[in-house]
Amino acid sequence: MASFTPYTYIQCPCFDLSNQTRHSDGSPSPTSQDLPEDDDEDHAFDPRSPRSNYSLYPLEYLLYCVDCHQIRCPRCVSEELVTIYCPSCLFEVGSSSVKTEGNRCTRSCFQCPVCVGPLAVQSLESAPEASLLSADNASASGPTGPWALTCSYCNWSSSEVGVKFDKPQGIFAQLSKLRNGSNTGADVPLTSAVYARAFSALRSFYQSQLANSNTGSSMAGGMGDYGFSSPAALTRIMSIYSGSTSKPKNKATVMREADVPSEGFRTSNLDESEAISKLRAEGYDGTVTMEQAASQVEEGAHFADELWPVASLLRTKRAKRCPACRHILSKPEAKVSNTRWRIRLVAGNHIPSVTIKPLPNPGAPPPSALTPLKPTQYLLTFKNPMFDSIKVTLATPATTPGRFSSKVTILCPQFTVGANSDDYDLNEVLKAEDRDQRDRRREDDGSHQVEAGKVFERGRNWVSIVVEVIPASLQIQPTPSILQKAGEPDPDLAPLREDEDILEIPMFVRLEWESEPSQDQVGVASSGKEKDAKEKRELAYWSVLGIGRISQE
Amino acid sequence: MQLQLPFRKPIASWLRKLVTKMSSRKQVKGEYIETDTGNKVSRKANLIGTQHIMLGGKTVIMAEAMVRGDLTRTVSAQGSSGAAPQSNTSIFIGRYCFLSRGCCLRPPGRIYKGAFTYMPLRIGDHVFVGENSVVQAATIGSHVHIAANAVVGEFAIVKDYVRILEGTVVPANMVIPSFSVVAGQPGRVIGEVPEGGHEQFEMREMYKTVGNNIPPPTAPAQLPV
Repeated sequence: MASFTPYTYIQCPCFDLSNQTRHSDGSPSPTSQDLPEDDDEDHAFDPRSPRSNYSLYPLEYLLYCVDCHQIRCPRCVSEELVTIYCPSCLFEVGSSSVKTEGNRCTRSCFQCPVCVGPLAVQSLESAPEASLLSADNASASGPTGPWALTCSYCNWSSSEVGVKFDKPQGIFAQLSKLRNGSNTGADVPLTSAVYARAFSALRSFYQSQLANSNTGSSMAGGMGDYGFSSPAALTRIMSIYSGSTSKPKNKATVMREADVPSEGFRTSNLDESEAISKLRAEGYDGTVTMEQAASQVEEGAHFADELWPVASLLRTKRAKRCPACRHILSKPEAKVSNTRWRIRLVAGNHIPSVTIKPLPNPGAPPPSALTPLKPTQYLLTFKNPMFDSIKVTLATPATTPGRFSSKVTILCPQFTVGANSDDYDLNEVLKAEDRDQRDRRREDDGSHQVEAGKVFERGRNWVSIVVEVIPASLQIQPTPSILQKAGEPDPDLAPLREDEDILEIPMFVRLEWESEPSQDQVGVASSGKEKDAKEKRELAYWSVLGIGRISQE
Repeated sequence: MQLQLPFRKPIASWLRKLVTKMSSRKQVKGEYIETDTGNKVSRKANLIGTQHIMLGGKTVIMAEAMVRGDLTRTVSAQGSSGAAPQSNTSIFIGRYCFLSRGCCLRPPGRIYKGAFTYMPLRIGDHVFVGENSVVQAATIGSHVHIAANAVVGEFAIVKDYVRILEGTVVPANMVIPSFSVVAGQPGRVIGEVPEGGHEQFEMREMYKTVGNNIPPPTAPAQLPV
């Protein structure tokens, strides 16, 4: 069995918001029959419910709005583009050129259509020499002749599909020229890009047709160049399709239909015997996989020799805003090469981190899996990142939800974690360390007692407490019919599902602390208080502790 | 031990001095050679061509790690003799790097102007290289985590704040932009490093856990990555 790393996931409050809105409109929720006390706050949150997946995040993924004093997750923040860039050449791309050129790099950045590795421009003539990074150097030193894109990972080469370039620069333009040129042949399958091109050709053709016809009609009064988006064109099209209202203006127009490929006219290739014979000859290996076909820019590739190099997709740097107050939660520097952030309000600076460790048991090494029905103790360490001491109150259901309910006891559900002290001067820190050591020694005299209501261990800004679990047995057996109550539904006797053996504890965390009143105008709620008075704050959220796997026997 | 060392000096000479001094004094040998700039180099590490390896300081090199400093540039860059001959360093390593057991750093090589040559491998600060990983990149930025059994191909460029997961094979010449999570064979960008995850790349705590006489841990361990 793979090793298991204990984890802590935190639930974003946006989960509850969606719940509340559903209740406010009065419609019964589909899950309400499973949860008897759905509408009030004291039902325990079930980490295994399918909906929970979407609201649980590790601490690093969460942001914190300092105005709303609330946790924000990647799902509920709104994002704004800061920079668009190519992940391969790291050149910035303007948003206007993204609109015109599309969302792919228009330089020489290509991915292998077979294995997604990066493609490098190589000369087909001499020994493989010029890499993508120094193509300009190498071209000066001599290698000439046709160039091809080659993959250094799987040795795919664009010459396999007959794509060769005259010069090592401007590959994107050369490739699109090749692509367009080759598509005039009838044997190329109809792809979406071909459709797009055909559509634009048709569009321009009919637009010119319209313009020509309109010059003669009375509608044309200065509106001949309006195109399809103009209301005149719309009424015209409507009249064409409805037909019945034959206005006298329209009778004079003679519109020719597109009939040559340059006007966007295409005949469909109904003869598939070639493809069938190819399939027969090359077999399964000659076809493309689903991923390869999906990664292609232009759809419709069925055989391996129809795979074209894929221009690399652009990537973005994004700023994030609070969904409620629109304040910026994180904003990276605009430059691609700069990795600093102008604003970065992460939850890790505002709520304590929780680490889970098995209680050090002298002698026995920590077991790889939890033994069913054997009380096991774990150490939860809360580390306070804030500069105010916080009072933590924990609550868990006595048994974990799900088919296999393990018993959970937090031995010390209420404690205070000291303030973080990054801004202390060195002397104070040293003193505090000293005090830490003394405390430790004093505690050591009494040797860490696993005792109800007592903190197991504490430091300057962290506290360890003990949680005891009695893992459930994973035996699936029907309850004797005598014990079954009449109203109860039949117990679920399905075999063990994926990850159902992980012991997950839902834990409600409530933090209380006093902080300096916020200076901004948003915090005017604390009116009536004096300016220097400390402000009471409170934050509560659900979290899930993944303790370990229960061994099956 | 009075060894005045300038910052970023080739480590070969003083390493030798250090070893002889230690043995002459019949000092109890720790597992690590600790330098004035705070590097901790295991005695069982395989450093080849030490005069071509530059350590920025506070870097940990664990046992059985292989650093191929001997693979230096053989074709002089930029014309005939523009660069000084002693600037033939093949591997630059920044501060707070951590080379785990069994990893290998190897400068990348290719044919340049008709002759095969190696090119220098540059590694930034706070870079972790996991066990049995092979790094042949051209450049590794700062705050990069390369997990165990990964391969970073020749002339790959890895920018800052990148996490390369276990068993990844980064193809040659690949460029990995900042804040990427990379996995797979061949490696591809599978996600972004979240805003709150930047501190996990910090290697100062990790540096303190290795050495000859480490004090017992006083603070709780960092969050598991």
